[in-house]
Amino acid sequence: MDLNYISGILTLAGINLMAVLGLSLLTGFTGMFSFGHAGFMAIGGYTSAMMTVKFGLPFIPALLIGGLAASLVSSVIGRLTLKLKGDYFCIATLGFGEAIRLIFDNVQYFGGARGWPGIPHYTNIFNVIILNIIAIVILANLVRSKHGRNMIAVREEELASQIVGINVFKHKLISLMISAAYAGVAGGLMAHYMTFLAPKMFSLVKSTELTIIVIFGGLGSISGSVLGALVLTSLPEILRAFADWRLVIYGLSVVIIMITRPSGLMGGYEFTPSSMKKLITRIKNRNKDLPNQMEGGKTV
Amino acid sequence: MTQFLQQLINGLSIGSVYALMAVGYSLVYSIMNFSNFAHGGVIMLGAYFGYYYLTGAGLPFPVAFIGAALTTCLLAVIIERGAYKPLRERKAPFLYFIISAMGTSIFLENMVIATIGPTFRTYPEVLSRTPIQIGSVSIGRLDLAMFIISAVCLALLVFFIDHTKMGKAIQATAYNIKASALMGINTDLVIIIVFALGGFFAGIAGVLFGMKYTVYPQIGIITNKSFIAAVFGGLGSLPGAVIGSILLGVIETITAGYFSSQYRDLIAFVLLVVVLIFRPRGLMGKVTEDKA
Amino acid sequence: MLKKSLALLLICLMILTLALSGCSKPATEQQGGGETTAEEDVIKVGWMGSLTGDQAVWGQCELNTVKMLFEEINAKGGVLGGKKLEVIGYDTKGDPQEAVNVAKRLTGQDKVVAIIGPNASGSAIPIAPVLEEAKVPDIATVATNPKVTVQDGKVKPFNFRVCFIDPYQGAVAAGYGYDVLGFRKAAILYDVADDYSQGLTEFFEQYFVAKGGTIVAKEAFKFGDVDFRPQLSKIKEANPDVLFLPIFFKEAALIANQARELGITVPLMGGDGLPSEQLFTMAKDAVQGTYIVNHVDYDDPDVQDLKNRYRNKYGKELELNGYLAHDAVVLLIDAIERAGVADPVKITEALETADVQGVTGRIKIGKDTHNPEGKEAAIVKIEGDKYVFQQKYSAQLD
Repeated sequence: MDLNYISGILTLAGINLMAVLGLSLLTGFTGMFSFGHAGFMAIGGYTSAMMTVKFGLPFIPALLIGGLAASLVSSVIGRLTLKLKGDYFCIATLGFGEAIRLIFDNVQYFGGARGWPGIPHYTNIFNVIILNIIAIVILANLVRSKHGRNMIAVREEELASQIVGINVFKHKLISLMISAAYAGVAGGLMAHYMTFLAPKMFSLVKSTELTIIVIFGGLGSISGSVLGALVLTSLPEILRAFADWRLVIYGLSVVIIMITRPSGLMGGYEFTPSSMKKLITRIKNRNKDLPNQMEGGKTV
Repeated sequence: MTQFLQQLINGLSIGSVYALMAVGYSLVYSIMNFSNFAHGGVIMLGAYFGYYYLTGAGLPFPVAFIGAALTTCLLAVIIERGAYKPLRERKAPFLYFIISAMGTSIFLENMVIATIGPTFRTYPEVLSRTPIQIGSVSIGRLDLAMFIISAVCLALLVFFIDHTKMGKAIQATAYNIKASALMGINTDLVIIIVFALGGFFAGIAGVLFGMKYTVYPQIGIITNKSFIAAVFGGLGSLPGAVIGSILLGVIETITAGYFSSQYRDLIAFVLLVVVLIFRPRGLMGKVTEDKA
Repeated sequence: MLKKSLALLLICLMILTLALSGCSKPATEQQGGGETTAEEDVIKVGWMGSLTGDQAVWGQCELNTVKMLFEEINAKGGVLGGKKLEVIGYDTKGDPQEAVNVAKRLTGQDKVVAIIGPNASGSAIPIAPVLEEAKVPDIATVATNPKVTVQDGKVKPFNFRVCFIDPYQGAVAAGYGYDVLGFRKAAILYDVADDYSQGLTEFFEQYFVAKGGTIVAKEAFKFGDVDFRPQLSKIKEANPDVLFLPIFFKEAALIANQARELGITVPLMGGDGLPSEQLFTMAKDAVQGTYIVNHVDYDDPDVQDLKNRYRNKYGKELELNGYLAHDAVVLLIDAIERAGVADPVKITEALETADVQGVTGRIKIGKDTHNPEGKEAAIVKIEGDKYVFQQKYSAQLD
C-alpha cells in the first residue's frame, strides 16, 4: 500500500473522528440524536477558511474561531429546539443542516454552489493526530467531570434527573455547544485538507454518516468512536474495488451490526489500562463462566 | 388571481404526493415510535415494480398497480422481520431502529443501482398529459387522478382503522403496546399488519410518483420531504400526516411563487421549526408518555 | 454470552475479509486479449467520475468509451512500440471528498501515468493539490468551470481539459439566442445547489444583458426536486421569449413536461448538460425545438464511426461524455507518443504543447490556460428524436 494514499485516508478518518467525538458527546453521552452536524462542520469550515484566506490568520487560531462560530450558532439553535423530544429534535436538526447548506449555496461571497477553491493546504496527518489527541483528552475529562455525569444522567433518565435537581436544559445546551465546536473544528480541518469548500460536501449524507459512526462504535464510548471513525472511513476505501457493490455492502453491514450487536463495537466500554486487565482476566477465566463484565450494566 | 389559483392547485397536487408517502411514516410511528427511514426505499422499489409489471410483464395498468402495491407490502414485512424484529426483541432504544432503517435505505438504493442500474425509467403514458383547462388555470389529469386515488385510499384506511377489529387492535396498540399485549392482542401480528399497510401505501405512492415524474434510485430525497411533512402534521397521526403534507405543499408553492424560489426550502424549514416551538408534537401529533 | 462472542467474531471476520480483499489487486480491466503482459509493458491510466448518482449515465459511458478505445489501441499493437494500455476506473459519486480519495489512490496506490476525468468541476478542482504532489497530469472531460485549470490568474500545472469553459458557453448561448434567434426576453430556471448550473447562469445572464436583452424571470430549484410548477407558473406570467435551462437532462425533461402542461410554449435552450438519449425517453414531445449549445455535432460524418463502434460493442447509444472521453484519450495517446516514455512529468510537458484533431474539434492546448483554445461550439436543435445540427458558433470573450 502506498504511504501517501494511506496517510490521506487516515487524515480523513481523523477529520471525521473530530466531528464524531463531538457527536459522541451529544448522542452517546447526552442521548440526543442530530442530523445536522454537517451543518456545524460547514459553519466551522467556511469561517476558518475565511480567517486564513481573507484575514491571513494562522491555522490554529482560525480553526478555533471556526469552532467558536459553530458553537455560537448551535447555542441559538439549541435554545429554540432543545425542548423538542426524540424524532422532533431530529427533524429540527435535519432542517437546520439543510438550511445552512442552502444559505451557503446562495452566498456568492463564498463562491455559492460553485465552491471555493484555493484554500491553503495546512491540514496534514500530524496536526490532525495531535488535535485529535487533545480533543480526546478534553472529552475524556469532561465526561468524567460533574457535568459529564449529569449528562449521562440526562441520557438515562431525563425525568428523574430533572427531579433530583439537574438542569436538563442547561446540560443539553452545553453538550450541544461543545459538540458543535468539535464539528466546527472538524470542518476547518476539512477545508484546509481539501483546499476547496462546496456546500455539497456537507450534505445530509455526511450528517448521517457521522451518526452511523457513533452508533457503530458504541454509544457512550470514546474508544468506540475512535474505532468507528477508523473502520467506517476506511471501509468504503477498502471496498473501492467492488465499485457499485460497496455501498450495498456498507448498508448491509450497518443493519447486521445493529441487529447482532446493538450496543455497537464498544458499547459503553473503554480502552483503558484497567479495563484491559479485566478483559484479560475474563478471557483467562472463560471456562469458569464468570458473569459477563463487559456487557454488564452499561447497555444504553 | 389566476396565478394564485394556479399556484394553489400546484400546491395541492404536490401536497397530495407528500400525503401518500407521509401516511406510511405516520402509521409505523404510531405503533413503533420511530421514523422508518426505509420507507423511502420501499416507495422507490414500488415505482420500479410498477414499471416492470407494466412494461416488462405487459400487465394492464390496474393489475400492475395493485401488483406493485402487494409486492411492496411483502417487502415492508420482510424488512420488519429482518431489520427491526431482532431489535424489538432486545427492547433497543429508538436510535437503533433509526440507524437500522437508514442502513436498510442505503442498502435498497444501492442495490437498485448495482443491479438495475442508475438510468431513469419512464412510465408509458397511461393518462393523457394534456391538462384540463378551466379558464386559464390548468389542472393535470394525472394530478386529478392522484388526488382522487389518495383520497379513496386514505378513506379506506380510516375506515379500516375505525371500523374493523384489527383496526381497533392497531389503535389500542398505538395507545399502549404493553397493555394491549396483556389484554390478549397479538401485538406482533398488529406490527406486521401495520408494516404491510405502510408497504401497500408505499407501493401506491411509488407507482403514482413514477407515473407523474420518473423512476430513479434517488427518489429518497423527495421522501425526506414527505417525512418532514409527517413531522409537521404530527408523527403518529394520520389526519396530521395528510394535513401536514397539504400544508407543506401549499407553503412551498406559495413561497416559490411569491417570495423567493432560491430560499424556498429555508423558509419551509423555518416555518417547521416555528410550528414545533409552539406545538412540540407537530400540529396534531401523538402524545407519548415520557419515560413511562 | 455465546451469542455475543459469535457476533463479535462475525464482525471481526467481516472487517478482516474486507481488509484482505481491499489489499489484493483492485479489479481492473486488463486489456488486450487474454495474453499475459509483463508489468513494465503495461501503461496504467486512471479514470474517475460518477458511476453512481444522478450523472452515472454519463460516467459509465465515459469509462466504457475509454475501455473500448484502449482495447482497440492494444489490438493494433499498443503505444510506444508495443506497450499495452490499461484503465483503472473508480467511482467518485460526484462527491469532492471521494474525488480526492480516488486521486490519491490512483496516483499513490495504482501508480497511473495520467488520469482521465472527472466530469464534474466540483470534483476536478479539489484534486489539483494531489496531482501537484504526485506530479501526474489530469485531463478533465466536461468540467467547464474556469477554475478547474486556472486559479487566481495562475495555471494549474497538472490540470488539463478537452472541453470549452462556462463563460464561453454562456456567451455562445446568449449570443446565438440574441443575435441569431432574436430572443429579447429570457427566463432562467436553474439549480441553486449545483456548481455547473450557477456558473452557466451567471455567464449567460452577464452576456445576454450586455447584448441588450432582459432577464424577465430568474427562478431556482434545489437538487432533488421533481416538481417545478410553482416556478414555471411564475415564469409563465413573465412571458419570456425563451426559457434558458442551464441544468442537466433529468430536471430539464421534467421541466419541459411540466412547462408544456402549464401552457408555456416558448422554445427552450440549454447547455451541454442537456444532450442525452434519456431526454427523449422522458420528454420527447415536450423538448421539440429546443436549442442546445453542444460540444459536438452528432451528424458530423467524422463522428459516425465512433458512434457505430460504441453501439456495436455496448448496444447503447454513445452519450455526449463519450465523445469528450474519446478526445481525452486521443490527446493523451498523442502526448505519450511524443513524450516517448510513459513518465507522468514528460507526458505533462507533451500535453502543454499538444495540438490534435478530436471528434469535437481541434484541440490545441493553450499554455497559459490548459484549455483547448478557439474551440467552436456546435448549436444543435431537437427535431423528432434527433439533435439536428444548426451551425458552428463561436463567441468573442472580453
